[in-house]
Amino acid sequence: MALSDLVDEHSGAPEAGLHPRFTCRFCGQTHRAVTLAPRQRAQCTRCGLTLAKGTRFGPDTTSALVATALILAVPALTLPFITVGKLGSERVGHLFSGARALWLENMPLLSLWVLLCAGLLPVLLLGLLAAITLPLRMRFQKSASWENAVRRLAVAVAPWAMPEVYLLGVLVALTKLGSLVDVKIGPGFWCYAMMSVLTLLAWRNFYLGPDAEGRSRP
Amino acid sequence: MSTQTSSAESSAGRPNFSRAIAFTIAAAIMLIPANTLPILISDTGGVARIDTIYSGIVGLFESGLWPLALIVAIASLLIPFIKLVGLIVLVIAARRGPSPHAKPLTRLYAVLDFIGRWSMLDVFLVAFLTSAVRFGALSTVQPGIGIAAFAAAVVLTILATHAFDPRTLWPQPHHRSTTSSQ
Repeated sequence: MALSDLVDEHSGAPEAGLHPRFTCRFCGQTHRAVTLAPRQRAQCTRCGLTLAKGTRFGPDTTSALVATALILAVPALTLPFITVGKLGSERVGHLFSGARALWLENMPLLSLWVLLCAGLLPVLLLGLLAAITLPLRMRFQKSASWENAVRRLAVAVAPWAMPEVYLLGVLVALTKLGSLVDVKIGPGFWCYAMMSVLTLLAWRNFYLGPDAEGRSRP
Repeated sequence: MSTQTSSAESSAGRPNFSRAIAFTIAAAIMLIPANTLPILISDTGGVARIDTIYSGIVGLFESGLWPLALIVAIASLLIPFIKLVGLIVLVIAARRGPSPHAKPLTRLYAVLDFIGRWSMLDVFLVAFLTSAVRFGALSTVQPGIGIAAFAAAVVLTILATHAFDPRTLWPQPHHRSTTSSQ
């Protein structure tokens, strides 16, 4: 019981150096970590919320998802997002055009916020997840404190990285625009859509991570 | 979520809800200009429109795009409302100490935590429309100041959820010692 003071908030993650005992992040119940079988779900005995899920695809799932999403981030941020045409003239919009338009309309703060939520923070989150999960050992020696700092930063960034919400916003806007102008969806959009889904999956997989998970310790 | 432990507990070990309450009140205040001021000023082929959140949804509905109207209504009207009411319920319950209804309340917290981000939909929608429809004299779309207020309200409700620690709903046997977590 003495060990239970050392609360590991992010115990769901792989390579967490998981504590033998940790507490539920929702209700504070102390649990003992156990290994989960594929598709098995670890629920808190007290509040009943899911703490972790057993991985279906093995321990490298998160790294694979993160690597793919990072690769897709490059074309998503640079290639044309949409092409809008009306009466012969055509305009190419990029991912950051929305933020730029808000900036030009004298809403710099909102513009910055959209830029962060839709573009920069998702990429930052992917970068952080990559730093934790990818076996890159070239430059940094992965010390426990360094990894913990990155993990904390990822948990802090994650709520504000919302590419999937931006994606839905774009889809709604496109449908609405369809009646006004000719809109063609560009390759940047598809890359961004894939990136969003993969980011979501990678984060879930990381947060409700494989390997070591909490089962009840009554 | 990492800040919950340190921020939601005062040094005496008793839960402190002032941050969550402050964010909730600020969000409630911001929702007033967000819903009354225009969020979108559009001029398409001579037809000028000034839309608030509500009139934008009605506009979508009237032009036959009711699935979109439904999505936007849920994201922009329903979710902020649910979040505010939910946060008030949670704070009131937690202030009374460990609650007999802790289980459903914790579930409510998890739901609030999940749905909050989807309110940003309207903000992104306006940003994207502004960028996509820029055709000089033919058609223009300008963001209204209401959207900035709305974005602020959404951010504040998300901050409020993060400032609330659902563990305060439950009896905590190890309360004294959790501060030594590093």
